[in-house]
Amino acid sequence: MSVITRAERGARTKLPPEEPSIPQRKGGTAGYWLYLLPGFVLLLVIVVIPLVFNVYLTFTKWRGVGAPDFIGLENWFTIFTDEDFWTSFTNSVWMVLAMVVIPTTVGLMVAALLFDVVGRKFGGKVGSFLRATYYLPQILPIAVAGIVIGWMFRPGETGSVNQMLAVFGIPAYDWLGQMPSALLVLMGVLVWVQIGYPVVVFMAALQRVDPELYEAAELDGANWYQRFTAITLSIIRPEVFVVTLTCTIAALKVFGPVYIITQGGPAGATLVPAYYAYSEFFTKRNIGYGATIATVLTVLVVVVSIIFIRVQNSAERKERAGL
Amino acid sequence: MARMTKKSTTRALAAVGVVTAGALALAGCSGGGGDTGDGDTLKLWHYEGEDSAMAKAWDEAIKVFEEETGATVEFEQKSFEQIQKTASQVLDSDAAPDLMEFNKGNATAGFLASTGLIADISDAVDEYGWADKLAPSLQTTAKYSEDGVMGGDTWYGIPNYGEFVGVYYNKDAFAEAGLEIPTTYDEFVDVLDAFVDQGITPLAEAGAEYPLGQLWYQLALSQADRQFVNDYQLYENPVDWQGPEVTYATDTLKEYVDKGYIASDVSSVKAEDAGVSFINGSAPIFVSGSWWYGRFVEQAGFDWTLQSFPDSTLSLGSSGNLWVVPENAANKELAYEFIDITMRPEIQAIIGNNGGVPVAADPADITDPKSQELIATFNGVLENDGLSFYPDWPAAGFYDVIVRELQGLVTGSQDAATTNANLGAEYEEGTADFR
Repeated sequence: MSVITRAERGARTKLPPEEPSIPQRKGGTAGYWLYLLPGFVLLLVIVVIPLVFNVYLTFTKWRGVGAPDFIGLENWFTIFTDEDFWTSFTNSVWMVLAMVVIPTTVGLMVAALLFDVVGRKFGGKVGSFLRATYYLPQILPIAVAGIVIGWMFRPGETGSVNQMLAVFGIPAYDWLGQMPSALLVLMGVLVWVQIGYPVVVFMAALQRVDPELYEAAELDGANWYQRFTAITLSIIRPEVFVVTLTCTIAALKVFGPVYIITQGGPAGATLVPAYYAYSEFFTKRNIGYGATIATVLTVLVVVVSIIFIRVQNSAERKERAGL
Repeated sequence: MARMTKKSTTRALAAVGVVTAGALALAGCSGGGGDTGDGDTLKLWHYEGEDSAMAKAWDEAIKVFEEETGATVEFEQKSFEQIQKTASQVLDSDAAPDLMEFNKGNATAGFLASTGLIADISDAVDEYGWADKLAPSLQTTAKYSEDGVMGGDTWYGIPNYGEFVGVYYNKDAFAEAGLEIPTTYDEFVDVLDAFVDQGITPLAEAGAEYPLGQLWYQLALSQADRQFVNDYQLYENPVDWQGPEVTYATDTLKEYVDKGYIASDVSSVKAEDAGVSFINGSAPIFVSGSWWYGRFVEQAGFDWTLQSFPDSTLSLGSSGNLWVVPENAANKELAYEFIDITMRPEIQAIIGNNGGVPVAADPADITDPKSQELIATFNGVLENDGLSFYPDWPAAGFYDVIVRELQGLVTGSQDAATTNANLGAEYEEGTADFR
């Protein structure tokens, strides 16, 4: 196997010259570790120890008090045949659609329109105002939003949605008590809550775009879609990665809206892993099994994060290499 | 960067140590105050609503207690959910109160009893004579076995009031529809049919919370005897989940929806909404508990009555919530003195005159006619040995299971046999440790 030197690799991929590094003091980096120690201790106490304890609990049967009973892999065998568990993870796919795919796609378009069209034609203040309105649901506590949504979608003639439909002669419907409407309402709420986040992040990222690029593209005859794909998307790609990653993690862990709006119903149709783990922990006091669900969720989040970060790094390397 | 001297290194290490200790303290902080009993303060938690009969009675009990003992009551208002979900963690710490209200039943007070988190108060019961004031069926939920199964021989709590589930009838709506309040089950069904014929959905119901599950259990009780209750609640024998009682209940509930006795969109309705639909007169019948009584007295603008379920000697019901004394309580003696005050006739009368069901009141002290009617109905259930507890008690988390399975039934996503089978499987799993 031939050995490629760092200089050769740099020459091949045309890497920019490395930034000057912080000068190391003589005697090594031991002194710096002192300052990192509190962070490591916090990480140990708040993350690592509970995580290890949680994994240990997956091999036990425990009601939360007294000593846990060691039962080996029983919880892990159970989880594979547990329909509710699989339902909850299937519903996670819908949550990803509602919290990642739709908001990121729509957010991209909205941010580009606000920046490139509204901002230029109506001024920055109008763009900022619209951005704030999109972000508003993010500020609203989900408990408050959830209760209001619950009122809106009440069954019979008491819910405002049914009242509005009645104006058009559409009969009342049990939105949160039937499938697939309960899942669709939940997803709609998540899209509404979530959409402001990518809009704000993408609009901030677009500040980095040199307006001359758009002007030059326009002079070359590029239409809005071509400018969007060639300039906007290309430049804010890192932010798209960050938004997608953080939203995917949030979608996998979603709990609040389910707890407030549907409580996993009707008949478990909107069950998600975090709510399922919660009900095993606190309602059934089946701590070992709840820990098993939580562990699977944690592993999934970690795996998804690693995949995203690797893809992002790979894309950045290609970009720096000019590929 | 300047080279670190030995002195500065020592200072840095000390700083890191302080930060680390602070972080550990923050992370490990349990909120425990390290209380020790001073004999002067009673830490008391309960979750009764401000305007409820019980809260009014206990406000008065606190005044009497402070006057008579000279001790101070440190009262904290909690929510039912808060205590239900976190009690085992709190009681396992030194932040436990001296006296706490707690839900009764195997999965709740029984669980705490079996884990040693609440104290065996049998000696105090003997000393104060509380057993003499409580009817035998009320004692069942206050006494637990070693495994936490109610009906045992060790006292772990004291109830101050009772509750039961019956049928509320809107008398004005009945008169308007030209109907009589039913006295038999056949008449009850005739009335339901008559309301449906007039375009009225007669039963206020809620499938997202407890009311639908309680109606389901009441229907099973209407076909059951005491042995069925003992099997279901006390695990004396296996429950036949495809047997006549459960099958009748599930089939009949489905029939109620199909025939329009219950609204077809019941599965997402909450208990509050069902109660309000009775209060605002849109549903003339509501099968639910005596805990609504005081509210209906205040808010229902029509004449109404509460009767036990027709042709059924068994009714849902039990003692009310229990006073329990945590094992880690710092002032147990003060807690016992407070419980004793709440059992006095004058405090019990406050419960009775405000829409509650006292367990040790002097009948002469109950002056409110509506309250007299409620207590008379409750006493009728007691005389029949009719209190049959609640369907979710046998296993932790069974409440959610019942809600979920009955939602599946009424939305048509599963049939009655599957519903029974699913309920049975969850029941078996949840009660396996006790049987």
